[in-house]
Amino acid sequence: MVKLGTSVENTWCLGCGNFGILNAFKKAIVELEEKGISQKNILIASGIGCSAKIFDYLNLSGIYSLHGRDLATIEGIQFVNPNLKTITFSGDGNAMGEGLTHLLFAAKRNADVTIIMHNNGVYALTTGQYTPITERGWKGPSTPKGSVEGPFNAISLVLEAGATFVARSYTAKIQHLTDMIVQAIEHKGFSFLEVLQPCVSYNNTYKLYNDIVEELDDILKSIEEAKLYAKNKHKLFIGIFYRTEKPTFCELLYGDHNPVEKRQYRDERINKIKKILNIE
Amino acid sequence: MSLIKGGHNFSVVSTSTRWISSHYMKADLIVNLDKRSYDNHIDHLSEGGVMVYNSDIKGDMDGIGISLTSEAKKYPNPNLMLGVGAIAILGATIGVNKTELNALIKNEYSKGVKENISYANIIYDIVYPIIGGKFQLEGGSKKRPNILGNQAIALGAIAGGLDCYYAYPMTPATSILHYLAAIADDFGLAVIHPENEIAVINMAIGSTFTGARTMVGSSGGGFALMAEGISLGGIIESPVLIILSMRPGPATGVPTYTEQGDLNFALNAGHGEFLRIVASPGTIEEAFFLTAQMLDLVWKFQTPGILLTEKHLSESSMTVDINLNDTIWAEPLLHKDGEYKRYFDTEDGISPLLFPPAKEILKWNSYEHDEFGFTTEDPRWIKRMHDKRNKKFKSLENYLMKKKTVNIFGDKGPIIITYGSTVMSVLEALKYGNIEARVVQPIFLSPLPIWVLEKYKDQEVIVIEQSAIGQFANLLKENTNIQLKKVIKQYNGRPFDPIKLSKKIKDAV
Repeated sequence: MVKLGTSVENTWCLGCGNFGILNAFKKAIVELEEKGISQKNILIASGIGCSAKIFDYLNLSGIYSLHGRDLATIEGIQFVNPNLKTITFSGDGNAMGEGLTHLLFAAKRNADVTIIMHNNGVYALTTGQYTPITERGWKGPSTPKGSVEGPFNAISLVLEAGATFVARSYTAKIQHLTDMIVQAIEHKGFSFLEVLQPCVSYNNTYKLYNDIVEELDDILKSIEEAKLYAKNKHKLFIGIFYRTEKPTFCELLYGDHNPVEKRQYRDERINKIKKILNIE
Repeated sequence: MSLIKGGHNFSVVSTSTRWISSHYMKADLIVNLDKRSYDNHIDHLSEGGVMVYNSDIKGDMDGIGISLTSEAKKYPNPNLMLGVGAIAILGATIGVNKTELNALIKNEYSKGVKENISYANIIYDIVYPIIGGKFQLEGGSKKRPNILGNQAIALGAIAGGLDCYYAYPMTPATSILHYLAAIADDFGLAVIHPENEIAVINMAIGSTFTGARTMVGSSGGGFALMAEGISLGGIIESPVLIILSMRPGPATGVPTYTEQGDLNFALNAGHGEFLRIVASPGTIEEAFFLTAQMLDLVWKFQTPGILLTEKHLSESSMTVDINLNDTIWAEPLLHKDGEYKRYFDTEDGISPLLFPPAKEILKWNSYEHDEFGFTTEDPRWIKRMHDKRNKKFKSLENYLMKKKTVNIFGDKGPIIITYGSTVMSVLEALKYGNIEARVVQPIFLSPLPIWVLEKYKDQEVIVIEQSAIGQFANLLKENTNIQLKKVIKQYNGRPFDPIKLSKKIKDAV
């Protein structure tokens, strides 16, 4: 087993919720290795933002993508080699602002990828603007009078779009978070994991979350119930909101074919083209 | 206009026993299904040509009237049958016999074969006694395939090693997507139509990470949406091939017509400084081989490449002579052994590749990075990685100097420089006008093969292109000492007509 950390200097603020995600993710990779999923089959991507910095802190292969495009990037890896376990790290701004189309479509097509959405409710790396899921009235540098737009509800949206695994966790509950990451990665199909992640500099929610976060006893029974629980503002439920088994995008598109591992070589292709063109 | 069943639509067919490289608007035979077609095309009739019109339509028309509609009304869906009537008229006129005609209808019009054949035979019998065999065609010496430009691009890519194609529909590139989707299973390809062109380019870059030879295609508007991804491809060193099939712009422009107005955009797409390989095929045959060669080049040099073409090439079909054994197979430089660094700073700037799953760590990074692919802000690394990537400009030039980068047709007479599908129009115009000239066609536009073009320095040349501001002429002016005597431009959406172009060339020389 290879060391999971890197020697890159970690530049997150002291006390940042992202440390919890980094630690839980490393633990999850160890657990997955024990379950027979080799580290070399795990590929990561990230968007741009504080969350995305995790790319440099993990000794795993992958692509440090553009802001909002990481989900498309990781899908591109997965679609041509469906054997790979593919995970992307994205902030709430990254996933639901610039990247919203890709998020909804990845859920819609049940792409076999996992997105870990670090939800700190703020664009932290650009100094504290409101995001698509920030509550109305946020006073940030781009909305000094308070934001006038209401928020999306992430879980409700991805459920509506067709996600087959939807869960939420909290950075201060490392064991719970580790468990959710493992299950999200193990799930065949599109996994959406929202992680409540306090931002100590622009949106410090530790106290609030410690008061109102509550673990679900069991997986909820229906999409409707899941949406209801996801929208509860008095209690922030964590756990698996919804899980179902459905064929993945690649399975429906080409069964068990793997375009990279089963690629046809030159002679076979040339002979087939000769037939198509009816030439010798 | 983009048309499905409404409006006025037409097809032009030109044929000869020699290689013919452009269609002619002057026609020996015109078949009109309605009055509007008659009015639109009456001026296109050649001297001694035959006009066939639908005699069931009211209006003042001259020529040979055939009761196309009343005969069609004897079948279900009569309006859908008129086109088959036109095929029967063309067949009778050029000497196709009924057996050949019926086989053709069976192959090409799979719905309602019985009715179509019955109707076609009736029309054939009416027409044959009047103009049967009037323009009798000789058979060629060899059986050759007739393919669309976009089909040549698709098949060339497959022959070169294509594994994966992403595209969002956009005319005139759409038929690449359709064609590849139809044959994807036969070749084990992933052919995917995602949410938009931004997903297209980013998914494609993700796919290249696994070693999949990946291509995308669009026209100007979709290509514009890909610009940020192309820049990502530059820094991340992704071998992604982009087909840009031009139509008149700006914005939505004229979707189903042709232009060469995106040359500058292709040469400069994406922010930041990095190598973009840009090449443009002059003929449908060249499109086949050049697509495979471009796939190889992007993998060899690990940078985005653009195959620049036009609606005129993409959606024209032509009889071609292709020797498939000449196709290049895309091969990247692979890491052999020892410590792996994704961005290993080599002499030629090309870092060996490895693909997942691998025990080595493979990090591709959109931030400036060190050799391992970790993010950096260190001034020494920033400079070094710029230099590392930019070494590829020289490496590619050195590589291409040993390859064919410019086509030269003819060895005497004035020099005409042109590129892309305009080459086909120019060659046909020269033949038509019996003009002796040398046609110089740079296949590569980035890097521009100065090493070949410099032999024309200080000489006076004529440039021919389909751009209103003369982008190609300006490219030559900026990069060479060639003297431009005259720039012949056309930008009305239509490809050059060989007859009119030959006159313009005669005036210019």
